[in-house]
Amino acid sequence: MADKGNDPFAVWQTVLGEMEKGFNAFANKAMASPEFSKTMNQASGATAGAQRQFGELMEKYLLSMNMPSRAQMVDMAARMQGIEAQLSEIKALLQARNSAGGGTAGPAAPPRPPRTKRPPEPSGEQK
Amino acid sequence: MNAAAALDLASIPERIQQEVQRAIQRSIKGVEYFSSSGPTLGVTPKDVLSARGTMNLYHYRPLADEVYRVPILIVMATTNRGYILDMVPGQSFIEFLLRRGYDVYMLDWTAPRPEEKSLRMEDYVLDFVPHCVRLVQEDSGETDLSVIGYCFGGVLSLLYGSIFHDGPMKNLICFTTPIDFRKMELFSNFSDRRYFDVDGLVDSVGNVPPEMILSSFEMLRPGSRAVSQVQLWDNIWNDEYVKSYRMFDRWATDTLPLAGDYFRAITKDLMWDNKLFNGTMSVGGHTCDLAGIKVPILHAVAEHDHIVPYDAARHLIPMVGSADKEEVILKGGHVSVVAGANAIKRLWPKLDSWLGGRST
Repeated sequence: MADKGNDPFAVWQTVLGEMEKGFNAFANKAMASPEFSKTMNQASGATAGAQRQFGELMEKYLLSMNMPSRAQMVDMAARMQGIEAQLSEIKALLQARNSAGGGTAGPAAPPRPPRTKRPPEPSGEQK
Repeated sequence: MNAAAALDLASIPERIQQEVQRAIQRSIKGVEYFSSSGPTLGVTPKDVLSARGTMNLYHYRPLADEVYRVPILIVMATTNRGYILDMVPGQSFIEFLLRRGYDVYMLDWTAPRPEEKSLRMEDYVLDFVPHCVRLVQEDSGETDLSVIGYCFGGVLSLLYGSIFHDGPMKNLICFTTPIDFRKMELFSNFSDRRYFDVDGLVDSVGNVPPEMILSSFEMLRPGSRAVSQVQLWDNIWNDEYVKSYRMFDRWATDTLPLAGDYFRAITKDLMWDNKLFNGTMSVGGHTCDLAGIKVPILHAVAEHDHIVPYDAARHLIPMVGSADKEEVILKGGHVSVVAGANAIKRLWPKLDSWLGGRST
């Protein structure tokens, strides 16, 4: 097999890696300037503003179409979240009850291993 | 030199044949790539102990006949999903810990809902983390626990530990955790207080969208995404490479939004005022003095971390008050140090040897 210096495919990989490093270093240097921060943040601010205006417009449009608004969907999501949380609590309570041996609803939780493990001796095998 | 040149000439037909075969394989595998989903991630069996909006607490089912007395609570970074630590069997940090006899819990995050935009740093440090600690205590029946925090999960763990320094945290392990936020130079420049209107942004969008978080990460290495796609095409004949690419790419692009007020606090307190490093950080009126942390602590940092450079992370060990403290610098980047082939060889065994003796 050819050594890496003479292998065009290995050379391609190396060139690609070097190009990546070079481009990243160049871009990082440019991005470290205050001018970059100023321009980037101005652009982000404008995008966020446009996004908000678009959101408000959509809400009015949905209302005129007699469709649920975003706020109503968020309210529904909050109610769903409340139901999910309550279900999780009920499930946890049932599991706790079963593992304590007092329950009959559903299968019992698998037994937990004893908390007796010790670290292996320095020269010993990991258990 | 002549002999080497002759050897190269002799190998050219073989090399060309290999490349032709790979080109054919690329076409076949390329079609497969676009017509199939990647490997299923995060499959280690677990139970959800608590789910409250953006917060989830999992308990992983034990895989050993006996476990260490002290359970582990992993606190995941709020920007990313916890399955980076549970990729696929054989490449899962969680599975590794379970097989080594640890009882593992994870505080993981889902996207905060619009109504959770008002979650503050106080909610994370004084509610979510302590709530999960209590549940781990109840579920395991043990008072003590070890905490592992990854990246910003490490910051949350430190803030928690500096406030609740009388317990029950017995050991603390931080992975790639920033302390001096000025040394995250590009992030620091992106959020320059003269130009970055964090209040305007949060008031406009509520939760900070994941695209914005992802672009800020990708801007740290702007050429890498394009190059990684070229490399993927080069290696698409290689199933292992493709599997690994898909796992990490899926995780990296599965970025979470950040709750608006929480993002506001991170920007103002950490990025602008560098309060954790300066010792002026407080959460909900509680002073967060790292010197108050006295438990055994291990900080694992990556040699080539472009997100949390070593200069940003190196102050942790000198600043904590623990007598038993250690920093390890491992080869790898911000992600590869905790997951992937490098982590299997380096970080995981180191963590096991450090934590085992402290978990009884």
